[in-house]
Amino acid sequence: MSGGGSPGRRAPGTAFLFLAPFFAIYAVFLVYPLFKGFWISLHDWELAGGYREYIGFLNYQDLWTDKLFWRTIRNTLLFVAMTVPTMTLLALMLALAVHGTGRLKAILRSVFFMSSVFSVTVVTLVWSMVLSADQGLLVPLWNALGIKPVNFLAHPLLAMPSIALATLWWGVGLPMALFLAALGQVPQELYEAAELDHASRWSVLRRITLPSIRHTLLLVVVLQIIGQFQIFGQAQLMTQGGPANRTRTLVQYIYDTGFRDWQVGYASAMAMALFLLMFGFSMLQLWLGRKGDDA
Amino acid sequence: MHHSKLLARLALATALTGVAGTASAVEISFFRFFGDCQTDYGTVMKAAEANGECGIITALANQFNAENTIGAKVVTQTVDWGAYYDQLTATYSTGNIPDVAVMHSSVLPNFSDRDLLVPLADGFAKVGIDTADFVPAALKNATTNDTLYALPYDLHALLFHVNVDLMAQAGFVNEDGSIKLPTSPEELISMGKEFKEKTGKFYIATESQSSEGMMVRLWESFMWQQGVDVLSADGKEASIATPEGEKAAALIKAIYDEGLANTALDYPGAEQAFLNGEAGILINGTWGVDNYDSQAKSGKAVLKNYAVANVPGIFGAPKVWADSHMWVMPKDEGRTPEETEAALAFIKFLNDNNFQWARTGHLSVRQSVIASPEFAALPHRSDFAATAENATALPVVQNQRGIFSAMTTDLNAMWLTGTEPADALAAMQESVDQILRRNR
Repeated sequence: MSGGGSPGRRAPGTAFLFLAPFFAIYAVFLVYPLFKGFWISLHDWELAGGYREYIGFLNYQDLWTDKLFWRTIRNTLLFVAMTVPTMTLLALMLALAVHGTGRLKAILRSVFFMSSVFSVTVVTLVWSMVLSADQGLLVPLWNALGIKPVNFLAHPLLAMPSIALATLWWGVGLPMALFLAALGQVPQELYEAAELDHASRWSVLRRITLPSIRHTLLLVVVLQIIGQFQIFGQAQLMTQGGPANRTRTLVQYIYDTGFRDWQVGYASAMAMALFLLMFGFSMLQLWLGRKGDDA
Repeated sequence: MHHSKLLARLALATALTGVAGTASAVEISFFRFFGDCQTDYGTVMKAAEANGECGIITALANQFNAENTIGAKVVTQTVDWGAYYDQLTATYSTGNIPDVAVMHSSVLPNFSDRDLLVPLADGFAKVGIDTADFVPAALKNATTNDTLYALPYDLHALLFHVNVDLMAQAGFVNEDGSIKLPTSPEELISMGKEFKEKTGKFYIATESQSSEGMMVRLWESFMWQQGVDVLSADGKEASIATPEGEKAAALIKAIYDEGLANTALDYPGAEQAFLNGEAGILINGTWGVDNYDSQAKSGKAVLKNYAVANVPGIFGAPKVWADSHMWVMPKDEGRTPEETEAALAFIKFLNDNNFQWARTGHLSVRQSVIASPEFAALPHRSDFAATAENATALPVVQNQRGIFSAMTTDLNAMWLTGTEPADALAAMQESVDQILRRNR
């Protein structure tokens, strides 16, 4: 009974008690694996068979000279550059279009969100069937135009944009929903005031809407960066990393190294590099966002 | 009170069913690819009534479950081909290690060198599997470091599957009915052009995307035909960026550059194009023979007149790429003697029915089956009898999956991204060297 004093005098133990479940889960599922991953990356560590040998930073030295590793980094960055801005912009535009009341808008909201519920296997299968130059959905179109069907998924320049396209179609629902939620919270009075001032729609968007949802915008961009850096399923299933490694992504290389070739130590070293990349870009984004707050 | 009574009853019921369960059936967990065809073959109890790899192996498991007298039951887990070995590896970590699993001889050393498989010589002797009946090459495939780790089940190789009607239209059928095939690189291209002119179809159909590496198998065959070993027997060196390699690669690139094959075909697409009568030759393995034969006979496919041919000796001796399916028993500390016994009984059953598997089109590995009249009577069997002698496999070297995947990526770049043969081979050599460096 002595615990019930004023909030400021409450024993700190109680607060920790309430935080304990979170910390326990956080420690077991995030902190421990992170350090374990780093520990493994210092070893020649095989997935099956129990071969383990401490080799210090040799895996990282190998990474430095591994051409395929740098290629997958380049591919992954390219994919992120293709998807994150377009995804954010597309989600925002869709959210602005279907925001508000009305039956049609409600239906369209569900329609645009719908593709997100499919698994990656379904999405990639559908898009492979659309893009195939053999029996694909677009083949009749090419034939009608009298040109040789474009082999999107095996084209050196078009394969990656094709994967990005499928990803946009698949993933736009969630950021759109986030934007919709944010738009719903913009005070209506601001819009009314703007209307009285005869503000153009463009300035309403620029001066009222965007500043009001800028925190959500930041959230969406950071979530997209974290998500798109980990691109795996689409590339694995649609192109197998081809043609000529043009779409091989970092996570795919990590998977092949760890699970196909059993080199878990080397794969962990790559995973650490991926972590640093994602961490760096997210921090940069947050920092840029915060800078705007101070201004 | 009420609750505890209920719990006691539940516990008793569980205990009873548990006891009854173990008494009635020893489960053999069976891990394989070859696809899932429960809808078509789930109730077929005789392997002799099934067709194709998937159908026959499904029916074999059904037949064993129905006929065995030791109370054993095979529980099949089918894994998609592309993910099979990753999943099998994962079972060693999760603990759901299968009792019997399929494995390619090219993958075996990765597992046997790490002591992940049960040596089988004693078990085979106990259940009466005669290892002397295996053709020597197959027995060698199943053995590493003088220890037998697998039941060899077939030898599979690359074949030319042929649309005879299109060949006749192009004038490539000899008077005795045999198919006229090219005997040199120049002839392959000139015949291909002539075929295209006369039929308006593709001379060749084969998987040409980045998933199966069918052309890597053809390229390897061309290397052996020129007397070059792609990998040295000790697994330390690769001979890829060589003059012979360049000749072989240049021919494969020319097939695409001359428009003799469609670059857009994936594996099912290539099969479909062949069955639809859009190509003269399908380059694919022995596993397709039974399937294409029954499709052609069914009258549902455009392909009506199907034949098979050995991959010809375009660069010399008609060597051809081959691998082998085998059954292994992954090592599992938790496996009971009863489970081991049941698994061995199932492996023996599979061996006894090797002929059924050979009906798929695969070459049998049992001398008694090969010598049998019913094997000789299988459709098209005489067409590709020589493949058994021409079959050539890579040496027993670790990390062949990584090697194959790297070669596929770089070789396919020739027709997908326009890489020149010399550059493609240099990239292949570099990737493979990097993998071989890891082999201890």
